[in-house]
Amino acid sequence: MAGSGRDERAWVRRAQAGSVSEFEALFRAHWGPAYRAAYLVVRDASAAEDIAQEAFLSAVRTLDRFDRRRPFGPWLHRIVVNRAIDWARARALRPEAEAVDTPAPERPEHDEELLRELDRLSPEHRAVIVLRYLLEYTPGEIADLLELPRGTVNSRLRRGLDHLKERLE
Amino acid sequence: MKRFRVPNEHEAVERSWEVVRAAYEAREPVTWPRRHARPLVAGALVAAAVAAVLSPPGRSVVHSLRKAVGVENAQTELFSLPARGRLLVSGKGGTWIVNADGSRRRLGAYRDAAWSPSGRFVAAVKRSELVALDPKGNVRWTLPRRSPRFPTWTGTPTDTRIAYIAGGRLHVVAGDGTGDRAIGPAARVAPVWRPGPGRVVAYATHGKAVVYDVDGGRILMRTPPGLPQKLAWSDDGKLLLVFRPYGLRVYDRRGRVVLQDDPSDATHDADAVFAPGTHRLVIIRIHGLASDVFTGRNGRLLYRGSGALRQLVFSPGGRWLLVTWPTANQWVFVRVGRPRQIVGAARISGQFGGYPRAVSWCCGR
Repeated sequence: MAGSGRDERAWVRRAQAGSVSEFEALFRAHWGPAYRAAYLVVRDASAAEDIAQEAFLSAVRTLDRFDRRRPFGPWLHRIVVNRAIDWARARALRPEAEAVDTPAPERPEHDEELLRELDRLSPEHRAVIVLRYLLEYTPGEIADLLELPRGTVNSRLRRGLDHLKERLE
Repeated sequence: MKRFRVPNEHEAVERSWEVVRAAYEAREPVTWPRRHARPLVAGALVAAAVAAVLSPPGRSVVHSLRKAVGVENAQTELFSLPARGRLLVSGKGGTWIVNADGSRRRLGAYRDAAWSPSGRFVAAVKRSELVALDPKGNVRWTLPRRSPRFPTWTGTPTDTRIAYIAGGRLHVVAGDGTGDRAIGPAARVAPVWRPGPGRVVAYATHGKAVVYDVDGGRILMRTPPGLPQKLAWSDDGKLLLVFRPYGLRVYDRRGRVVLQDDPSDATHDADAVFAPGTHRLVIIRIHGLASDVFTGRNGRLLYRGSGALRQLVFSPGGRWLLVTWPTANQWVFVRVGRPRQIVGAARISGQFGGYPRAVSWCCGR
């Protein structure tokens, strides 16, 4: 998981100064959650890897301009989730393009079922569920990240949860 | 959900790390003095402000410091433009045309203005009228309207249209001032005509950007919510820039996001433009007490200044980029290609009756 705020500021500061090891610490603290969030929205491991990687390449490009008083995670997650939604929408428009990459499950049965039901939601609904329950943002923070009205976030959460509850019960 | 792991995650992270590390190692880190310039400038500004308040000699400190912000060896006046064409500017001091040789003509007390497609006329607005002028300032026609803003002109040499906002609605009128009609509610954001055939305009309404076919009378595209501050088309009309200080988006004609850029927290963008004839964006990002001008695709830094850079305007052909810099009361012309060249012009507000907004650099005539 991501380090404390102080750790993170130090990583960013030293990474800006050119320290590969500190940049690696920042990368390893944030890559996993970013990759998982992207995967849960797009349900394609290769695409999720590309999305998380591209978000970090964007971070490299703007590292010198990054304001280290602010947390790195929300900025990264905004990029990741928006790109994941765009990717999922684009795939929905051309479903013939490629088969969904579903790797062999190594999860408890309940998780498998949860993922399958999550898959039935729209990318927009999946994104708010992932931001709320994987990355643990508040609805207000999700509204800021996705540039949506708070009421829209709440209603997507409610509908998403209602759907999951109904199907999993 | 927090327990969830993607199978083969370890291999994926290592693959990505190889790519990201290579990009990190290939970047050019900002050197110590540049990274620390911001706190130093901040400290100096605070000290100067205190000194100015406390003692008369302090005022000379302020004066010295103000001179220190800006391009060194800037021209004391705007003597000439570094490229062909004519620059249209508007502000508190009215609307002006600046010719390539540096000569200036004030068209009048207009608050917004736009070139006609051929650069032979200018559409401008006053408090209660839309006006068409020639470049000498002679009025060709006027149209009384309540608080008109943001005229923008499109068309062929024989058939043109002007879009503008008045009374909270988007209007379109023929280039001879006839046939004015209201299209629909619009926010106070400059509409932009799509280059190319047909009359298609992008404007902001109900907190989003809309692309509207004026001839067909139908909406071609709506963006997701988020009121833009500026809209711009690429020269080929294929991409629409929807600019907001905290997140810009570029849409293709089908409404898909093809590029997005979200400044990190506590930074924001002041302006973004397409480089002429390309899909490449150039962006001003403000962070703390400094601003950067950089290319969107690879993050290449084109210019950095203390304080707030405000606006970007490309010369015809795209070789030179005008960066407006109110903090330094300067305009900075950056030659985008190689060899890199920077030309500054000082005392801008004194020459235009206030620091003006650069509208566009037209036509090379």
